[in-house]
Amino acid sequence: MTSRMRPRWLHPMAWWAWALCLAAAATRVTNPLLLLLLIAAAAVVVAARKPDAPWGKSFEFFLILGGLIIGIRVVFQVLFGASTGNTVLVTLPGISLPTWMSGLRLGGPITLESLLGAFYDGLRLATIAIVIGAANSLASPGKLLKAMPAALYELGVSVVVALSFIPQLITDFVRIRDMRRLRGRNDRGMRGYVSLAIPVLAGALDRSINLAASMDSRGYGRVSNQSTSSRRIVVGLLMASIVLVMVGLYGLFTTAAHPFLGLPIVFMGLVAGGASLWRGSRERVRTVYRPDPWLLPEYLVTGSGLAVLGIFLWAELRVGVNIKLWEQLHPSLDSWPSLPLWGIAAFLIALIPAIASPRPPSNSSSARQTNEREVVSA
Amino acid sequence: MIHFDQVTFTYPTSPAPVLRDISAHIAEGELALLVGATGSGKTTLLRAINGLVPHFSGGHLAGSVTIDGRRTQDYPPRELADLVGFVPQDPMSGFVTDLVEDELAYSMESLGVDQQTMRRRVEETLDLLGLSDLRNRALRTLSGGQQQRVAIGAVLTAHPKVLVLDEPTSALDPGAAEEVLAALHRLVHDLGVTVVLAEHRLERVVQYADSILLLKDGQLSIANPSSAMAESPIAPPVIHLGKLAGWSPLPISIRDARRCAGPLRNALVDQRPRLRAVPHSSPVIATVTDLEVGYGRTPVLSDISLQFNAGEIIALMGRNGAGKSTLLRSLIGLHTPEHGKVRLDLVTQGASHSADPSELNSRELLHHVGLVPQEPSDLFEAQDVAQECRNSDRDAGCTPGTTRALLALMAPAIVDSMHPRDLSDGQQMLLALCIIVAAKPPLLLLDEPTRGLDYPTKTKLVDILRGLADTGHCVVMATHDVELVAELATRVIILGDTEVVADGPTVDVVTGSPMFAPQVAKILAPQPWLTVGQVHDALARANKLEDL
Amino acid sequence: MTSAIPLGKKSSVAVALITIIGIASFLWPFFAPTGSFVVDHAADAPLLFAVIIPLLLLLVLAQLSDGGMDAKSIALLGVLAATIAALRPLGAGLGGIEPIWVILILAGRALGPGFGFVLGSVSLFVSALFTGGVGPWLPFQMLAAAWVGLGAGLLPRAAGKKELALLSVYAAGATIAFGFVLNLWFWPFSLNLPAQIAFTPGADLSVNLIAWLRFNLATSLGFDLPRAVLTVLLILIAGKPILFLLRRASRKAAFGAPVTFQHFPVDA
Repeated sequence: MTSRMRPRWLHPMAWWAWALCLAAAATRVTNPLLLLLLIAAAAVVVAARKPDAPWGKSFEFFLILGGLIIGIRVVFQVLFGASTGNTVLVTLPGISLPTWMSGLRLGGPITLESLLGAFYDGLRLATIAIVIGAANSLASPGKLLKAMPAALYELGVSVVVALSFIPQLITDFVRIRDMRRLRGRNDRGMRGYVSLAIPVLAGALDRSINLAASMDSRGYGRVSNQSTSSRRIVVGLLMASIVLVMVGLYGLFTTAAHPFLGLPIVFMGLVAGGASLWRGSRERVRTVYRPDPWLLPEYLVTGSGLAVLGIFLWAELRVGVNIKLWEQLHPSLDSWPSLPLWGIAAFLIALIPAIASPRPPSNSSSARQTNEREVVSA
Repeated sequence: MIHFDQVTFTYPTSPAPVLRDISAHIAEGELALLVGATGSGKTTLLRAINGLVPHFSGGHLAGSVTIDGRRTQDYPPRELADLVGFVPQDPMSGFVTDLVEDELAYSMESLGVDQQTMRRRVEETLDLLGLSDLRNRALRTLSGGQQQRVAIGAVLTAHPKVLVLDEPTSALDPGAAEEVLAALHRLVHDLGVTVVLAEHRLERVVQYADSILLLKDGQLSIANPSSAMAESPIAPPVIHLGKLAGWSPLPISIRDARRCAGPLRNALVDQRPRLRAVPHSSPVIATVTDLEVGYGRTPVLSDISLQFNAGEIIALMGRNGAGKSTLLRSLIGLHTPEHGKVRLDLVTQGASHSADPSELNSRELLHHVGLVPQEPSDLFEAQDVAQECRNSDRDAGCTPGTTRALLALMAPAIVDSMHPRDLSDGQQMLLALCIIVAAKPPLLLLDEPTRGLDYPTKTKLVDILRGLADTGHCVVMATHDVELVAELATRVIILGDTEVVADGPTVDVVTGSPMFAPQVAKILAPQPWLTVGQVHDALARANKLEDL
Repeated sequence: MTSAIPLGKKSSVAVALITIIGIASFLWPFFAPTGSFVVDHAADAPLLFAVIIPLLLLLVLAQLSDGGMDAKSIALLGVLAATIAALRPLGAGLGGIEPIWVILILAGRALGPGFGFVLGSVSLFVSALFTGGVGPWLPFQMLAAAWVGLGAGLLPRAAGKKELALLSVYAAGATIAFGFVLNLWFWPFSLNLPAQIAFTPGADLSVNLIAWLRFNLATSLGFDLPRAVLTVLLILIAGKPILFLLRRASRKAAFGAPVTFQHFPVDA
C-alpha cells in the first residue's frame, strides 16, 4: 500500500486528531504499561513518517520534556510528599518551615509506593506531552495554516508573513552583526545585544510597510460581497456563543443550578461559535490554491485515533460492570500492573498511521518530480 | 489605457505638492519608461497608477487617474489588483509567502479565482517567465534576477492589463537584468500588456521603450525615446556620445550607434585615451597570498593572489556567486582562510607594520580597512543623522565633528534631524561612506555602491572616490556597473569559478569583453575608448570637435 | 495617535467577555464551591477549558480582524510576531528566560491595546508553529499574552522617563503574573500531587491559595523572577529607541491618514 502511495503531506488536521485522541486516552489511565504503549505507538509512527524538515525534530525535544516532567514530579514527591504505603526506602531529614511559610514540611520518610505513584502520575503527563510532540513533528505547520477557517484569513496571513520572515530576520541579524564590526563594535553583553537588535528591528519595520503596499496591490482584503444582514448573523452568533458559554460556566461553577444544566448550555455556546466561524468563512471572496485533500488515509489516521480513545473510554465506562477493569486502568501501587488484552489491541490500532499514511515528500523527491515533469513536457 | 487628468498630489506630511498638474495618456500595449532624478516623484507617480497613492499613503489627490475606465478615486489598490500589477522596488520585501508556487498563487487567492484556473495560470506563468525549475524553491534562496521574475509572475497570474515596475533591474547584474527585460519585452509583444517602469539604469532599458515619461520637479512631459533623450540631462552614454558626435536622428541602441560611428572612429584613429596613472612606487596596502575560502566543502575562492596599492581604484567584477563578496569579506577578516593568508599593511608615524584582518579586534580593524556594505543601512543605529555622525566620531576616535564635516562636503542636502533610514538610497550610501572614511582606513572597500543611484549621484560618487584614491587610499569595489567601472577604475579584477580570470588595467580587461564592456567601447570597438569624456578630450586635443 | 487595530464597540465587548471567561477558567480552583460541577470533576475541568478557550479566542480574533485589519496592520503584525518568535529560541541561551515580552509590551504601548491583544496571541502562535510547541497549553498562553499586550496598550499617558518607569513596573508585574496564571490552568489536573502543593477541590480559599503559591515557588518562580528582571532591564536600556522605531513605523504606515480627492469635471 505504502509503496504505491505517492509521497504527499497528510492533512495536518488528521495528524492532530489522531494525536489529540491518544492524548485524551492517556488522561484516562495511570497504568504505566498502557501509557508506555501509547508512547511507543507515537514513536513508531513518528519514526515511519517524520518529514525531513526542521519541525520534524520536535519529537525528540518532547521526549526530553517528558523525561523532565517525570523527574520533576518524582522530586516533588520526595520533597513535599506525605508518604503513603509501608515500604520505606529511606528517611530524609525532615524540615518544618516556620508558620509564616504556613508550616510547609519538607523531607521525611520516602516510601516505594509514593514514589511509584508519583512516577505513574508524571508518566501520564509525559505521555500527553510526547503524543502531542508527535503531532508537532508529523504535521506541516504551513499546511496547518492553510486549513484554518477562512473567517480567520487575516490572521492566517499575518502568521504566514511571520513564518516566512523569521529565516530572513535571522540572516539580517547575522549580517548586521558582521557589519557592525566595521564600526569597531564588539556587541557583547546585554547592551551590545540591544544595540544590535535595534537596526534589525528597524529594517524589519521598514520591510513591513513595503510588504503592506505589495499586499494591498495584490488584492489583499478585497471587499467581500458579505451583506450587512449576514454580517449581523455572524456577529450575533458570536455574541450568543460567548454569552451561552458564560451562562453555562456559571452553572458549572456554582451549586445554584443543577450541575448538568451547565454542560448542555456550554455545548450550545460552542456550537453557536462554530456556526459563526463557518458562516463568516462561507462568504469570503478568496479561494485556496491546491487545498489539501481529505482522502482515505486521512480517514484511517483519524479513525485510528478515535478508535483508541473509544476503547479507553469503553473500559472506563465498564468499570461499574467489571471491577477488574479499574485495576487495569489505575493499578494499585503494591503490585505489578497488568497489561490487558484491550490495551494491546488499542496499541495495534494506534500504529495504523505508520502504514496507512502517505510518506511526506522529501526534498529530493520534489526535485525528482520536477525532472519527471520536464521529461513529460519535452 | 492609463489616463492622468490634471493630477496634483500632496502628501499629508508636506505642504508642497509632489506631482503638479500632470496630464498624460499611455496607450494600450505600450512600454513607457519613467525617467527622473531621485526625489522627483517617480515612485509617487507609479503608485498613483494603482491607487496606492493616495489610498495607502494618505494625502490629497486633485484631478483623476483612470485605468481602463476605472478611476482610482473609486477603486482602492486591492480593487484594481486584477487590472494593474504593481512590482515594488525590492521584490523580496513584497513577498508574502516563502515558496515560488505559493507566491504565484497568492494574488489569485485574494481575488477568489477558482482552483482549476489557478492551477492553469500558475503553470502558464511558470513557463512564460522560465521559472518552472524553481517552483518548489524557497524565495529566499533565489538569485536577484529570479526573485524579480517571481515578483513579476506573482502579479501576472491575476492577468492584469497594466504592469507597473519600480526599478526592476537596478539591483541586478547585467545577465539577470537581460533576463528580466526579455521577459517584459515578451509580455508587451505577445500579450499586449501595458508596461510602465521607472529605472535609473537607462543604458539597459531605453532601447526597449516606446515612449519616455520625463518627470522633473513634479511635472511630466512625454516624448518618443529619441527626442526625449536628446533633451534629457539624464541619459545613457550612447546618447551623450551621439550628441557629441552630432548624429541625427539620435541612435538609442548600440546597434544603431555603431552604424553611425564610422566617421567618429576615423577621427579617433590616431588617438589614445589618456588614463589616470598610478605611480608604480606607491606603497602596498594589502596582500592576498594563495587564498582559499570555502563554506563547508565547496570552495568559494581558491588560489587567489593579489596585491593592492595605494592610489588604485580597483573594480571587482564577475557574475553573482563568483566570490566577489567573499573576497571583500576575507579582506575585513570575516572569513578565516582555509589556506593562504591576507595581510594588511599600515604605516603609522613612520613605522610600518602588517596584520591579519581576522586577528585584529574590531577597535583596531576600522583603522586598517573599511567596507561600505551593500545595504548601507546595516551600519546605521542612531535616531538621526547628527547622532549617527557623533557615534561615528567616537568609534573612529577622531575629533568631534569630523564625520559631519565629511558629510557636509559629500552630500550638502542632508539635514541633521533626518532619520538615517529616511534618506534616499544615494544619501544612505554617502552617509555610510563618511562613517567608514572617518576612521581613515587605507583600504576602502565598497560592495555594489551604485545600486539604486541616479546619474547625478553617481557622478558625485566618482569624484569622491577619485579624491580618496588621490589622498592615498586604495579603493576596491565589487560592482556590476560597467559604466561606473569604465569611468572610475584603474584596474579590473574579474572573478570566475572561484579564481581570478583576469587582472589588469581597465582598458585591457573590459574592451573586448561582451559582458563587461561599456557602451562607448562597444560602439567604438576595436578602439580602446571607454567613456564619452575620454572621446571628448581626445577630440578637443586634436581640435576635431567642430569637424563632427 | 491612531491605533493600528481599532477596538470598536462590538470588539471591546467581545474582548471584555472573553477576559471574564478566561479569568474564570484560570481562577475557578479558588472560588468554585464543593458540589459544583467543576469541583466534582476537577481533573477533567482543564480539558473542558482547553476546548472552550481556543474556540472563543478564535471567535474574538475573527471579530477583531473583521474590517479592523488592513494590509498595514497585518504586515506589521506579521513582522513583529516574527521578531518575537525569532527572539524566543535566543531565550534558550539565557536559561529559558525569554526576552520576548519587551517587544510585546512596547508594541502594545506604541500601537494600541487592540494591536497588543492580537500581537500577543499571534506571536505565541507563530512561535509555537516555528519551534513545534503546539499543544493544549497554547490557547492559554495565547490568551495570557494577549492580556499582556492589551494591558500595555491601556496604560495611562506618560512620556519620557515616566513612561519607561511605568512600563517597567507593568512589565515586572505582567511577566510574573503570566507565569503564575499559566501554572493555574493545569494545576487542578495534577490532583495526585503531594497534598502540600496540590489543589484540594472545594477546600478553603486560603488552603488552595497557599498550596498554589507553594506550587509556583517550586516550579516556575525560578524562571519567572529572572525573566521579570531581564524584561525590566531591557525596557530600561532599549525602551526608548524601540518605542521610537515603533512610533516611526506607525507614522510611516500612516494609519488612518486622511485621503481626500478633488475631481475636475472632464470638460472643465
